[in-house]
Amino acid sequence: MQISALVDGELSGAELDRANAHLAACEQCRAEAAELRQLKRDLRALAIPLSELASYRAGGLAEVGADEALTRRLLAMAGPGGPVPSRRLRREQHRRDRSRNERSRSGPARGRDRGGSGGSGGAGVRGRQRAAGPPYSVRPRRSGGAPRRPGRYVLWGALSLVVVGIGAVAFGMGGGGAAEPAPRVTPQLEMFSIEHAINSGDVPFPDPTKAPAQSSPGATRP
Amino acid sequence: MPAPRRPGLLVAAAVTITVPGVLAVLAVLGHQRVAPGAAYLPPVALPANSLRAAPAATGPTVGQAQVRTAAVGIERMSQDAITSATASAREAVGLRLLGKSATAGLATSYQGVELIAQLGVNGAVTMISDVWHRSGGLTITRTTDAKELDGGQPYVSYDVDNRSPEGVFGVTKTLVTLLGKHYVALYRGNGSAVGRPALIVDLYRGDESLAARFWLDRQTMVPLRRDVYDTSAQLISEDAFVQVQFGSLPAQPGAGNGGSRNKSAWARAEVPAKLVAGLNGSGWHLPAGLPGGLPLYAAARSQMGLGQVVCLGYSDGLSVVSLFAQRGTLAAKMAGWAPVDLSGHRVYVAGHTITWAGRGFVYTIIADAPPQTVKQVVASLPPATSPGFLGRIGRGLDRLAALINPFG
Repeated sequence: MQISALVDGELSGAELDRANAHLAACEQCRAEAAELRQLKRDLRALAIPLSELASYRAGGLAEVGADEALTRRLLAMAGPGGPVPSRRLRREQHRRDRSRNERSRSGPARGRDRGGSGGSGGAGVRGRQRAAGPPYSVRPRRSGGAPRRPGRYVLWGALSLVVVGIGAVAFGMGGGGAAEPAPRVTPQLEMFSIEHAINSGDVPFPDPTKAPAQSSPGATRP
Repeated sequence: MPAPRRPGLLVAAAVTITVPGVLAVLAVLGHQRVAPGAAYLPPVALPANSLRAAPAATGPTVGQAQVRTAAVGIERMSQDAITSATASAREAVGLRLLGKSATAGLATSYQGVELIAQLGVNGAVTMISDVWHRSGGLTITRTTDAKELDGGQPYVSYDVDNRSPEGVFGVTKTLVTLLGKHYVALYRGNGSAVGRPALIVDLYRGDESLAARFWLDRQTMVPLRRDVYDTSAQLISEDAFVQVQFGSLPAQPGAGNGGSRNKSAWARAEVPAKLVAGLNGSGWHLPAGLPGGLPLYAAARSQMGLGQVVCLGYSDGLSVVSLFAQRGTLAAKMAGWAPVDLSGHRVYVAGHTITWAGRGFVYTIIADAPPQTVKQVVASLPPATSPGFLGRIGRGLDRLAALINPFG
């Protein structure tokens, strides 16, 4: 079955119906299809041109089983001339490999490691990776490695959201010219001038802001 | 066997006691005596050597040479003491003359025209003021901007509460007391002002630079003129009577189209520092002193339409800064005010008045002080700048906390 063609959207009509019917009945193919979709997403994330993916597929997925096809593609990507993964990806892969080695030494894999890529197949890939080139691959993360903790991300995300929200509200409420609702005032110069005259023991000055034609209201020096 | 007689020693001892005392008395009495029409003495170093010409006590004819020698030695030894005594006497006299001048208005009626020229942060301001003062009470001033003598209306004010009848050219009892704490007042001799004999008193700073000179009417002790200098000896204020008449007064001038006689809306604080501390505890930002060595010495508050206004007086006796503070922000349009950047503040200036808004308050200062002191004062008060990003968030958090605080 051309699972990759199905994933790539190359099937149509009766072929597509047949493939979907098969996927509905075959758990292994469903897992294969899911893995391929995940692989495509990761490749997109790494900005790998789909043309490269097509060339990998041209290696002859039809003659071998789904697992073998996947393995070959992964090996092809890990070989010389392939895209250089980021340092972060290499670190994660290294960590996953070390974790798996420890688990394999201690006993058979459990839980999620049993499914997906399979125990012996995965070990074989890792062995060849170590022999053939750098210890990395673009293998879907969910197929192995340290278990992810989505709760932590959710927690941090929620916390960030709360902080940003409070900050935005505070910024909005902190606007305006005064700490309290402030009346707009104009200094009462006549009154002030007289009080200053008492303080300074001199004559009060007229209000310079009044127009010359207007008379001062005759402020009283108390 | 008779004891050896040594009259020279006795005479020397007598002179030792007598001469310094006589010289000190002459120094005090000689400078209190004012000779009418005497020439003005320029402000130079104290002429202590002139006291050497004062008549000295003479001893008996026997041993005159010894006496003369002893007297010269004593005179040299007591030179510093005499100089100090002379300076103290001049200072005491200078301060006492200013004290008398501060209360001269209680017993003297006068009418005259004052010319007031002061250098402010935005240039010089010159005023002409007609002053009518009845002894011990009412004072009416009618002030006009010298630039608008032709078309401007006079400014009329009354001193109905007799709170500062003596206030002429900044010589009041309170300010003279402050002068004595911050300056050295030296009586400098006689002179004249506006055609009248005057006593001249100089004010010196601690660094011995001349700060101000007063001309006090010799007959009435009313100040006739005052010149104020900054620390670089530049004349920054000149207040003088250009015409004055003492004694019987013509009829009280009318108030014209102004001149109400309402009682003061200001309530004086007995202890200014206490008022300031209380307001600062309520979120106000009022200083206990201003730069330039201007301590707080007066405080009053008034309830206006838009809230409470506080007036604080700061002075060293010569420079006076009145700070008015009230909650609020400035009006959107400040007609008649010129926007000026001063000491990092965006302020508005009108004549001697500077106003700006900062931290929820409007500050207004009216200053009789050197421009550099005014700039320092403005810089020391809350600025008119926006709070900034973090400041705005902090203010918003405060408001938010106040909003949700169940105990607030």
